[in-house]
Amino acid sequence: MVTATRGYRAFQAANAAVLTGVVLVTLFPFVNIVARSFSGEQEIRSGQVVLWPKGFNLTTYQKVMSDPVFWANYRNTVVYTVVATVIALVLTTCYAYVLSKRELRGRTVLVGIAVFTMFFNGGLIPNYVLVSSLGLRNTLWAIVLPNAISVFNLLVMKAFFESLPPELEEAAAVDGSGTYGTLLRIVLPLSKAVLATMLLFYAVSFWNSWFAGFLYMDRQGLFPVTVYLRNLIAGATGGTDNTATSEAALQIAANIQAVTIVLIMLPIMLVYPFIQRFFVSGVMLGAVKG
Amino acid sequence: MKLTRRHLLTAAGAATVAGLAGCGDDAENGKEGLDDKRAGAMDGFKAGDQFKATEPLTFSILMLSNQAYPYKADWPFFTELAKRTNVTLEGTAVPGSDYNQKRSVMVSAGDAPFIIPKTYHPQEEAFIAGGAILPVSDYVDLMPNYTEKVARWNLQPNLDGFKAEDGKYYLLPGLHENAWQDYSLGVRADVMEKLKLPAPQTWDDVADMLREMKKAHPDLYPLSDRWSTPPQPGANNLLNLLGAAYGTHAGWGWTPTHWNAATSRFEYSGAQPEYRAMLEYLHKLVSEGLVDPESFTQTDDIARQKFANGKSFVIGVNAQTLVNELRKDVAKVPGAKVSKLILPTGPAGTVLPGVSRLESGLMISSKARESKNFVAMMQFIDWLWYSDAGLMFSKWGIEGQTYTGKVDDGSFQLDPGIKWAGLNPDAPKDLQVDYGFSNGVFAYGGSTAMLNSQFTDEEKAFQAEMNKRQVSPVPPPAPLSVEEREQVTLWDSALQDHVFQNTLKFALGQRPLSEWDAYVKELEAKNSQQYLDIVNKAYERYKKEHG
Repeated sequence: MVTATRGYRAFQAANAAVLTGVVLVTLFPFVNIVARSFSGEQEIRSGQVVLWPKGFNLTTYQKVMSDPVFWANYRNTVVYTVVATVIALVLTTCYAYVLSKRELRGRTVLVGIAVFTMFFNGGLIPNYVLVSSLGLRNTLWAIVLPNAISVFNLLVMKAFFESLPPELEEAAAVDGSGTYGTLLRIVLPLSKAVLATMLLFYAVSFWNSWFAGFLYMDRQGLFPVTVYLRNLIAGATGGTDNTATSEAALQIAANIQAVTIVLIMLPIMLVYPFIQRFFVSGVMLGAVKG
Repeated sequence: MKLTRRHLLTAAGAATVAGLAGCGDDAENGKEGLDDKRAGAMDGFKAGDQFKATEPLTFSILMLSNQAYPYKADWPFFTELAKRTNVTLEGTAVPGSDYNQKRSVMVSAGDAPFIIPKTYHPQEEAFIAGGAILPVSDYVDLMPNYTEKVARWNLQPNLDGFKAEDGKYYLLPGLHENAWQDYSLGVRADVMEKLKLPAPQTWDDVADMLREMKKAHPDLYPLSDRWSTPPQPGANNLLNLLGAAYGTHAGWGWTPTHWNAATSRFEYSGAQPEYRAMLEYLHKLVSEGLVDPESFTQTDDIARQKFANGKSFVIGVNAQTLVNELRKDVAKVPGAKVSKLILPTGPAGTVLPGVSRLESGLMISSKARESKNFVAMMQFIDWLWYSDAGLMFSKWGIEGQTYTGKVDDGSFQLDPGIKWAGLNPDAPKDLQVDYGFSNGVFAYGGSTAMLNSQFTDEEKAFQAEMNKRQVSPVPPPAPLSVEEREQVTLWDSALQDHVFQNTLKFALGQRPLSEWDAYVKELEAKNSQQYLDIVNKAYERYKKEHG
């Protein structure tokens, strides 16, 4: 092993310091929210809670978790996210794979059509009218279809497919594999890294999104949980109808936002470690010889 | 001319507006042609009658879902309502957090439910040009309870203020019998007792009271206020109260124009001599160390902490924050008592601003006009939102089930098994959450007896004192045309910023009040005079055309 030069060691130390700083800054709000969610009302109001819960209290957790609307909306979020992510992944992959073929005629036009929507769109009300007249309101499809292809993700994926050595596909063709066979058996298994990235991008964005659900759903039981949370935060800070008087009500008013945020971000954060192992570089190292 | 994208967009926008305005013309047939719209309506429906549709009807409604009591379609409110009126309400649930946005989209897309509640004037103005909402003033003769209350409580001048350039209004507001003054100052009553201070009657008395407190506690600022959320300059409740006492508009009560009845002209509020007098008073309090300079910038939490820890004795208050916040906050200070001051009076005399007598209200979709049940719907709205029985029902529910007694003779009593706000705090059921009554979508406004039924004795005494005061007249209508409103809006934000910034500077002494004339000149340089000319011209025009 080669010993590192002094300059490189200094660089590493500085690097570690800066990155640690970034991690702390990023982590702090999360830790603070978690601490607040377990703390007592008095301690929160007087600003004592920073990194560790003070005046341990679970009243709000009990209250939120016993609310059937919360769980109904939570279930909606899970369903919307899973269905939307699967559909988005399939459509984006197909589109990107096609666009990555340089010999495709009309390729520039197809790319142009996609990129156009990055810069222009019909606007809020025309979109609403469109979704309404297609009869999609109050259905899952109002959330899934308008956001099925993110052009940014599409371009990332296209670039990835273009970087695959064409020899691999030529070899597959020589062995008698058709277009779909090549895509499914050769290209996709080699694209786990980008698929995992896309999965994460899509899942997180669908999980966090609230606007489509808010706009196209007309019944409480159809909202995603993010709409529930948003209303909660507005209700707690607006305060015009805040008629809390009892001890429990004050406790709930103090940290219901923190509790709900923790409950909502938990599952999507747990997804990261499972996907992380696909983020490996160099899977293709040595795939093409000579 | 080179066509840029901006030109195209402007042209497209203008075309859309023209198209929408075109649609609007059809709906403006007025009262004629209602004969085929009477299905389900009652013949000879008059004020005080129980409305009951002659056949089962369903009306769509935009239903704000409040987080404190999320909307449930099976609330006893809805089942009992159907039993009494034969009407089922079909709600589109909208989270309260973004109600206005969804309302905008649905109305603009022509997709709104028939009944669109919880609209605060002047929000409805944005929808008038599109023709999507009904000029309700054309149809109030279908609403006997509404017209009766407007006449009896003398609210027509207030309603005139809601009128658009065409002389019609587009919002059915909640009606209050009396002006309701909720806000005042909260004081530490025990500190006043110890110093043997009498309850202040005027704002000068308040200054004396603060001086005595300062004498006894030289190390602190006796008044440290809250409610400093922008865009207003800060200490917005204090400024609002002072503005009303001096005969101008400030803080929460800020409006750019002030009606001068003596000259029959609108004046620019921020340039009035009254505004200057108010600032002189406030500056005196700050310079003597009676008001915490941080009052204008600190968060509510910090202001409350100062009050809670005995670092201040006076703070802004309303009926709810008195009970829910201040009393709880000072609980750990031995002997501490908080009470709400009877609103002090100023040079303007014992007056209350009259504009508070109209509440948020309903818009009606223009499409409803085409329905064969239109007349029945207007009768239904009249009963539920404007009849005494309907108001009582939406606020307190069902006699014998959720309450007993009457509000008029003071025998009203909420069922002990039901909690509401501070009443029956340990009851198992909640009037709003479990029953759907006292819902902000349906229950607001009403007679003084009705409003009083929800107050504590202490608050009733405060309100009784307030109701002795004279309600100041509302300004006459001066509706602007679309172009005028656009022009005025352009000037308004620059003017308003300047007024707010200088309000703070004058109050805190960063700018001496001797520079007042220079400040008025600065306002004029920002078109305050042109602004007034437009408003006064609109006033004259309206008086000539509709007067």
